[in-house]
Amino acid sequence: MALNKKIAAAGLAAAMAVLPLAGCGSNDKNANAGKSSDASPSASASASAAPSASASASGDATGAKLTGDFEIQYFVGGYGDKWWKKVIADFKAANPDLNVIEDGGPKINDQNKPRWIGGNPPDFVYIDGAGLNDRQMVEDGQLEDLTEWFKTAKNVDGTLISDILTQPPQQYDGKVYNIPLVLNSWGIFWDKALFKEKGWTEPTDYASFIDTADKIKAAGVTPFIHTGKYAYYIQDAFLYPAIVSANNDDYSILQDMANSKVDAFKSPAVMEALNKIVEMRDKGFIDKASIQINHTDSQMLFLQHKDAFIPNGLWLPNEMGKDVPSGFDFGFIPSVTQKAGGKVVANTSTATVAIAKKAKNKEAAQAFMSFIFSEAQASQWAELSGAPSNIKGDISSSSAPNFVKDAAKFLNDPNTVVVPTITFNADVEKVMWDSTDALSIGKITPDEWVKRVTDAAAKVGK
Amino acid sequence: MKTSGTAKWQRSMFIASFTLPTLIFFCTFTIYPVIKALYYSFFDWSGMSDHMDFIGLQNFKDMLHDPIVWQALGNDYFLVAGKIVGIMLLATFFAVALTRFGFKLSGFFRSIYFIPNVISVVVIGVLWNFIYNPQIGFLNAFLSLFTKEPVTITWLGFTSHTIWMLLPPSIWAGIGFYMILLVAAIQNVPDSLYEAADLEGANQWHQFCHITLPLVWEQMKVSIINIMMTTLNGSFVIVWIMTEGGPDNTTQVMGSYLYQMAFRQYHFGFGAAIGMLIMISSLITTVVMQRLLHRETVEMS
Repeated sequence: MALNKKIAAAGLAAAMAVLPLAGCGSNDKNANAGKSSDASPSASASASAAPSASASASGDATGAKLTGDFEIQYFVGGYGDKWWKKVIADFKAANPDLNVIEDGGPKINDQNKPRWIGGNPPDFVYIDGAGLNDRQMVEDGQLEDLTEWFKTAKNVDGTLISDILTQPPQQYDGKVYNIPLVLNSWGIFWDKALFKEKGWTEPTDYASFIDTADKIKAAGVTPFIHTGKYAYYIQDAFLYPAIVSANNDDYSILQDMANSKVDAFKSPAVMEALNKIVEMRDKGFIDKASIQINHTDSQMLFLQHKDAFIPNGLWLPNEMGKDVPSGFDFGFIPSVTQKAGGKVVANTSTATVAIAKKAKNKEAAQAFMSFIFSEAQASQWAELSGAPSNIKGDISSSSAPNFVKDAAKFLNDPNTVVVPTITFNADVEKVMWDSTDALSIGKITPDEWVKRVTDAAAKVGK
Repeated sequence: MKTSGTAKWQRSMFIASFTLPTLIFFCTFTIYPVIKALYYSFFDWSGMSDHMDFIGLQNFKDMLHDPIVWQALGNDYFLVAGKIVGIMLLATFFAVALTRFGFKLSGFFRSIYFIPNVISVVVIGVLWNFIYNPQIGFLNAFLSLFTKEPVTITWLGFTSHTIWMLLPPSIWAGIGFYMILLVAAIQNVPDSLYEAADLEGANQWHQFCHITLPLVWEQMKVSIINIMMTTLNGSFVIVWIMTEGGPDNTTQVMGSYLYQMAFRQYHFGFGAAIGMLIMISSLITTVVMQRLLHRETVEMS
């Protein structure tokens, strides 16, 4: 297990490589993908894991032999394609009678779109990058219902897949269609070095966050910056955790919101969370520049110490790469909106895998699922893609940077509420972004926010 | 008779060989997409799936009840009006200045003013984003020279009317081309007319009103209509680069809303319906403008 620990550590260390999300250009992603392999300090340590991985891979000859064609569509972005090449090669070796066809590339989502429209999709799809939206694919009836399969599915090592996932799959009205493969977390960042120098306390809950923000403001620094152009940064890292905390740590409210249930948006928990944004706004904590700038600009201002806190994801340190000033020491907490002594809420961000409803070789697709959700392949994912996979692992002893240790500590702590990835309806989500922006500049009240969003949800629901 | 028939046929063939390919291209790349877009606008389709639901005119009905469509339409026409006034005033001024006053550096200035046209709109958008940046932007830094407290206006983040801020970059980007167009037109006006006017004692203003303006009116009309059409169809780029329609849809134009709905919110049919709205509104506006701008043609002799 010690080896596996190291592997997992290498994964988080390289978590920096995780870019993605709609906001970043695909060129960015590719540029950083190259860097990620050098960025991982313990990559060489985990390289030795490869032989054991393929060893267990070949020992998987369970059940009937798989034959015929099996086609895999995978988007190549910030995580690169090394893992896919490797895992597909291993899978081929384990199933010599199967003809595996790879559809991989940075534009594959667009290239294969006509085939999804034409009802002739690939069997297996990795949902990441622009042009694919899991909720939309579910609504369009393009993905296979995996609810029953997932209940009993075992990986090639014979372990229940549902037991080893760090976070469970998203449920669409109680049904499962796609399984998260990559794990990442949203949260609030700051510079530990700056905080030490100025004598500011690092936040652990909402009270201490507001308290520190007061001191920061008094010292002439703006406490909080985000990107209004992409309002999901403040929503994912601040608003949603705040809603979960206000809802007694029950994240089902977010799932109801994602399913466009009107009543969920009217919950007092939503109002309480919105009022936290209002409090920040009225106290002048939110940098006025936020509303008009994009994520990169907000991150630059944060790195220049113009602002003390920024809502972002674990990919931030690597995304900013060489722009990070020396001595800058990222501090990280998944949420700052909980009551004193309350649980930390980690809102996760993932890329998932699924099987096409019109797949021609579902058997092979399920076997491939079982194949990739194993510890061996997961540790390879960490090593080859530079991002943590969604398989549980202990990540404590390592030479990783502080924020990675912080993140690992939080994600593995039983006192952390890990929120499974949630994909909202695109219409409702857009209205939420617009409304959150409007709220943050004082154009509307929280009541109007709720009104607008419930109207949108009601329209979608009918 | 036989020979003349053949000649006629040859002539027809000759004409057809030039017009047919063009017609085919026009049909394939203009008529067909328009019809296809019209067809899609009658469906509820995500743009990703293999099934589409025919919903008749529902997309168009939804459009009438969507406040963002109206806001986008208003913003579009605001940009049209603003750009026509801004670009035509400045372009005419520069064109007259560079031709009629004949100073030495006119060639140099002509190139300078034309430069924004050579730069891609994307670059212009990024550039103006920096100018407008509230923290590190040029505009706030400049204004701060005159105030005690540093100015922190969020130029692209007003609660409403943010669309005003997109006018300066659009005008700045457009002047050069129309200036060159007018320079060429003014240079075509015979010098003798101006010489005669000088002898009669007409001042520069009179010469402009009674000689230059009537004789370059055709080019001005073309410029105005061209500005109108490119704005209605093409303001998408600058909006998408600078604001993506935000904050809170205050800078949304029809093009950006089409993109948003079709590719970000997966309502391809609705997007197609917006596309039809863009086409119809630019057709109507063109006809109206033609009528409004019609003047007696003045012959130069």
